[in-house]
Amino acid sequence: MKFAIALFSPPSAPSSRRALRFAEAALQGGHQIVRLFFYADGVHSASGTIVSPQDETDVARQWREFVAGHGLDAVVCIAAALRRGVLDEQEARRYEREAANLPAPWVLSGLGQLHEAAQEADRLICFGGD
Amino acid sequence: MSQSLLVISRQAPWNGPGAREALDIALAGGAFDLPIGLLFLDDGVLQLAVGQAPQAVQQKDLTANLQALPMFGVEALYACAQSLAQRGLSDTALAVERLDSDGLRALIDRYDQVITL
Amino acid sequence: MKTLHVLSSSPFSDDRLSSCLRLLGNGDGLLLCGDATYAAQPGTSHAEALAALQGVALYALDEDIQARGLKPAADIQQVDYPGFVALACQFSKVNTWL
Repeated sequence: MKFAIALFSPPSAPSSRRALRFAEAALQGGHQIVRLFFYADGVHSASGTIVSPQDETDVARQWREFVAGHGLDAVVCIAAALRRGVLDEQEARRYEREAANLPAPWVLSGLGQLHEAAQEADRLICFGGD
Repeated sequence: MSQSLLVISRQAPWNGPGAREALDIALAGGAFDLPIGLLFLDDGVLQLAVGQAPQAVQQKDLTANLQALPMFGVEALYACAQSLAQRGLSDTALAVERLDSDGLRALIDRYDQVITL
Repeated sequence: MKTLHVLSSSPFSDDRLSSCLRLLGNGDGLLLCGDATYAAQPGTSHAEALAALQGVALYALDEDIQARGLKPAADIQQVDYPGFVALACQFSKVNTWL
C-alpha cells in the first residue's frame, strides 16, 4: 500500500511519536510512504532548534533521521510554518527574521502537496489532536 | 479518476487557527478541481453563526472565506443537525445541508478519504 | 466502504468519543490510542458504551494500554504498530479525530 501521512501536532505531543512509529512500521511492512506532510502545529515537529533533555525521546531529531535515512518526500506547509515561526534560510531572509530553524531534509511548500499526495496514495492517515 | 475527500471541521471559529486551517484544506482542494466535501460538526458549526463581529477580537472575517467555497468549486457543504441544535443555532450564514446521525454515517461512507480537524 | 476511526484523547476531557459513537457505522472499526485508551477501562460509562456497540470492531494500541496499566475487556483487540498498519490497509479509509 502507498501511504500519505499527515501530522498536525508538535514533537511534544504523543501523536507525533505515534506517527513516527506508524511510519516506521509501514516501511518495515514493505509499504511505501508517498509523502509526509506536516500541517498546523505539526510544523514544529520539523523544527531543528528543539533541545530535548538527554534522558527524553528527541522526537524532532528522530523524524529528521527517519526522513533522511529513507530519502522520504517530507513537506512542511509554508503558511502554517510561517505563522508559527518555523522558517528555512530563504524565508528567514525574505522576512528579515533572525533565525532559520527548518533544516534539510524538510521542504516548505503549499497545501497542494497534501492533496497531490492524498490522490496518489492508497491511504491517507492523519495524526494529531492530543 | 480523483479520490474524493471529506473535510470535517470541528473547531470553533475564534479558538486559534484550527477553523481556518480546515477551511484552507477544503479551498486548496477545490482550487485543484478535486471532489471535496466539507462537514461542520460539534463546535465547527459555530463557524456558521450569523452576526459575528470578529474584528472585536482582532480576527479576520471567516464568513467571507466560507462564502468563497462555491467559487472554489466546493459546493458539498454539510452540518450536523444535532450540533446546530445543541448550540442554539437555527439560521446559518452559509447554505448547508443539515444531516442527522444516519445522514452523517452515509456521508462519511460515500467519500474515499477523510480529514477531521 | 468501511472506516477505521482513530481516537487519541481522553473521553473524560472532551466529546470526541461521544461524537464518534454517533458516526460509527456497521462494519466500521474503532482504534483507541493515547489517552483514548482510558475509555476501555472497565467500570466506566465509556467502556459500557463501547461494549454496547453492535457491528463495530474495537482495537486498542498495546503500548498505550501497558503504559497506563489498563485491563480492557476481551473484545477490545490489542494491536502493535504492525497491527495498526494492517488495520489501515484492511479498512477502506482512516478517520483520525484530530
